[in-house]
Amino acid sequence: MDQITIAVAKGRLQEAALELFQRAGFRVPSEANHSRRLLVEDESGRCSFIFVKPADVPVYVEYGVADAGVCGRDVLMESEAEVHEPLDLRFGRCRLVVAATPESAARGYNPLAVARIATKYPRVTSNYFQRRGVPIELIVLSGSVELAPALGLADHIVDLVETGRTLRDNGLVVVDTLAESTARLIVNRASYHLKRAAVAGLISALRDAAGNG
Amino acid sequence: MSSSLSKIPPGVQYIFDSEARVRRWIEREVMGVLAAWSYSEIILPIFDYADLFALGMGKEQAEMTYRFTGRDGKLLALRPEMTSLVARTVATRFREKPRPIRLSYSGEVFRWDEPRGGRQYEFHQIGLEHIGSERLEADTEVLIVAIEALRKLGVEGFTIALSHVGFFNGIAERLQLDDGSRAVLKEMIDRREADRLDEFLESFTDREQRAAFGRLTSLAGKCEIIDEARQLVSNETSMAALDELARVYRLAEALGLEQCIDIDLGDVAGLDYYTGLTFKIYAPGVGAALGRGGRYDHLLEKFGNAEPAVGFSLCLDWLAEQIAPSFKSSSFAQPDDAVRLSSSGDLADVFTEAKRLRSEGRRVEII
Repeated sequence: MDQITIAVAKGRLQEAALELFQRAGFRVPSEANHSRRLLVEDESGRCSFIFVKPADVPVYVEYGVADAGVCGRDVLMESEAEVHEPLDLRFGRCRLVVAATPESAARGYNPLAVARIATKYPRVTSNYFQRRGVPIELIVLSGSVELAPALGLADHIVDLVETGRTLRDNGLVVVDTLAESTARLIVNRASYHLKRAAVAGLISALRDAAGNG
Repeated sequence: MSSSLSKIPPGVQYIFDSEARVRRWIEREVMGVLAAWSYSEIILPIFDYADLFALGMGKEQAEMTYRFTGRDGKLLALRPEMTSLVARTVATRFREKPRPIRLSYSGEVFRWDEPRGGRQYEFHQIGLEHIGSERLEADTEVLIVAIEALRKLGVEGFTIALSHVGFFNGIAERLQLDDGSRAVLKEMIDRREADRLDEFLESFTDREQRAAFGRLTSLAGKCEIIDEARQLVSNETSMAALDELARVYRLAEALGLEQCIDIDLGDVAGLDYYTGLTFKIYAPGVGAALGRGGRYDHLLEKFGNAEPAVGFSLCLDWLAEQIAPSFKSSSFAQPDDAVRLSSSGDLADVFTEAKRLRSEGRRVEII
């Protein structure tokens, strides 16, 4: 059977993803979680794993450099990558929300002024506010977005929330939920056909392991 | 000044040396195959009225064109595709010609669509249109010509994913979806989101039907897929679509071509354009489809002469990328060494000698 390459998002989802692969019968070397190696072969020789930044997973898969990948739905929404998305892996549950200081939240968006929104998700954010007819000024940050309202950089933020603790610690409240996010298995459109047996095997093994009906 | 001179707009490319030769070779080989199947070449204008493309592709798609105004103030657009141009020509100027009409084309198209997955703003399409026949023979012919072209090029390990829009349409009709829900359903099937699809359908149909639709997202494989799909649906439109697929597949089998064909009932991407059989071409080393085709029976009508049509196009850029690695060593990629003639002596003698060598088929370089 064809060997397949799987891109796994480093960080938040990595450990749970590798555990799932383990349960699905892949023999992931134990050092995969801790070592700095970015490419690891599955001991059964069925696949190799590459570990990349979450936002890069859809890129590797869309170009077909990786046949499949695991990343959050938040990342997928932002990338708009043309890939297959056959499985909700049901871990890494979190929400993409609009948040603000309680004062800003109570005030709402000023209908006469442009709202300043800080985020790591420019595309999702623009779409959301455009649909609601709220004019915004987008401030694209690459991290610590929760700081922006406290420092007066932005009125609102759009960010990922898992427990809500970081928001609370920075004095922010949730204004609205844009989307729920969980980890997804994505598959390259060409690999879906060219390596069909291997890809179909991967999907069904992971579906069983993830406990999807 | 020099920095602005060397700056190239994103999404365009300059191509030279072996890459240029590979592309010309591909073009020649594919056009040769099409000509042998009696498709005669039509050379199309680089730009035409923007309205023409909006009519052919739909308003939304035509938003992606590069537009500018002509001297008469009319809005023009660089061609984003070839089929609208061909269809309009056939519907107007070829009205009296006997059917079917077989036409081929090769050239660059331009789309203002964010470059991604290796796609540029400008890319080269080679394709054909078979116009005036509603018979399945025409669909099959187009499919077989596509396979022959790929084989001629030596594209290894390619797969043609064969589908039929009637299968999805039959299901959507039965669910009585409005346009919005239909678009959502289509997107979920296109992305094979089995779980979301199940949730979405909860308000439309019972559990058993939902499980059947869920299978839709994973129905890809050989001809056993057609039989499996027959168990899942009962509406006439879907059944007729499966019958057509089965007939084409059987013919492909008889011709020994079945190993490069995959049935893929989840391919619904071209739903708003295609009306019957559709196919996409995949090959190792390229992450997206390097060609696609199918039946589009509603297009010609938009140009004032309703008649059926089938066609396909290949993306030359991706073909070149796919073929280039295996091409490097061939003689076409690296022509024979040139005979170098010095121009220091009598120039007339030098050119006479060059002509003699050329007549022997040698390459000459005067230094």
